[in-house]
Amino acid sequence: MAAGVLTKGLCGFRQPRIVAAGYSCSGPLYATATAVKTLPLQTDSTAVTDEIQNLPLETPDFFRLSELFSLKDLFDARVHLGHKKGCRHRLMEPYLFGSRLGQDIIDLDQTMAHLQSALNFTAHIAYRGGIILFVSRRRQFSHVVESTAGDCGEYAHTRYWQGGLLTNAPIQYGPGVRLPDLIVFLSTLNNVFQQHVGVRDAAKMNIPTVGVVDSNCNPSLVTYPVPGNDDTPAAMELYCRLFKMTINRAKDKRRQMELLQGLSPAGLIHGSS
Amino acid sequence: MAALCKVVAGLRTGTCVFPKRAIDICKSLFSTDSGETSEGKAVEETQKPAADKVKSGFAAAYEQHTDLQQRQNQTGTTVRLGSTRNEKSFASLLRNSPLMQMGPAKDKMVIGKIFHIIKDDLYIDFGAKFHCVCKRPTVDGEKYQRGSRVRLRLEDLELTSRFLGANTDTTLLEADAFLLGLIESKDGKTKE
Repeated sequence: MAAGVLTKGLCGFRQPRIVAAGYSCSGPLYATATAVKTLPLQTDSTAVTDEIQNLPLETPDFFRLSELFSLKDLFDARVHLGHKKGCRHRLMEPYLFGSRLGQDIIDLDQTMAHLQSALNFTAHIAYRGGIILFVSRRRQFSHVVESTAGDCGEYAHTRYWQGGLLTNAPIQYGPGVRLPDLIVFLSTLNNVFQQHVGVRDAAKMNIPTVGVVDSNCNPSLVTYPVPGNDDTPAAMELYCRLFKMTINRAKDKRRQMELLQGLSPAGLIHGSS
Repeated sequence: MAALCKVVAGLRTGTCVFPKRAIDICKSLFSTDSGETSEGKAVEETQKPAADKVKSGFAAAYEQHTDLQQRQNQTGTTVRLGSTRNEKSFASLLRNSPLMQMGPAKDKMVIGKIFHIIKDDLYIDFGAKFHCVCKRPTVDGEKYQRGSRVRLRLEDLELTSRFLGANTDTTLLEADAFLLGLIESKDGKTKE
């Protein structure tokens, strides 16, 4: 690394006296083979890590998540059932199939596409060793969410959300706190049917969010909204199972890639990759 | 608005126009509906008992599923998992679902299952979005345990109301039903 920087400096300032044999100032950035040999392990490992990290980006569905769920599974878990017409949020209207005797029906074709992209994003974040936080303020499903987070080695927050949790973290929790890289909202509403504070705060802190939005939720601040039912236990268990399987699949894939490349699995335990 | 017009055109049910004649409309719907496949029509007709519209969310869907499977096995077509999954579109799944076939929820008989009990309150799930909460009846009170199947008469699928000065409805996140009695699973004959 140091040799590379030195080369760059040499090329920039053009001091012919210090030019040694083998140094070529043709490229402004990268060192030549001679410079690479001096620090072989470091550059090799970073190059391999970059390759491992960028490989999933080449295929649209690298983790084959479309085989985890089907339209029938979503339908049987009652994901398409929304609230009554009077509870509808105006911004959810594009995601609705229609309204049946006053009850909104969510369009599962759109939900399939949104769920696929949300799970794909979650898998990529998990693959790169990111911290994922599951948030839900539904007391009925608090245990399911917490056990899901535990099963996939990630984190959950299903209690009262303190105001400065994300925005005032260094002061509330000490300096150098690492914030989550992805927040998954299994219900974007709190107990008084207002939008969860975490949605707005995550947007403020540039943290991407995945959120299950029911027909009475506001989907605008959620990065990857998944229109679907968030009130039925069957639907919540389905989402939890899907997220758990996605994250485990992504982490297993990462471990496998690192073993193949012969590296130690260091970057998987929420490393700074 | 466009979404509302879309569902009226898409579902083409007579039930939402004439809610009180639900049973008659449903039967005429099955016979005259040209968009249905023959499988769907036959299954729907076998699914409905004569006069009393007893339906259960999961049980009805399970029956429909097994009927379809048997029919496919009889015709001898090779059934691959992918093709059976992708066969039905969301619109056709929705159209054939028990919730749509039921019509308005008022005074419909359904079968529910108790999934939680807190002293005298029974939390009963009958296949809709929400559960309902009923008081334990005085007759045969001890027989109502977690996992018991009960008969319900539905009032409303979701208890919502618009209060003065509010932008949206306030919802109780519960359905409303009247508990009729247990289903005697041992004999299978009389329904109390």
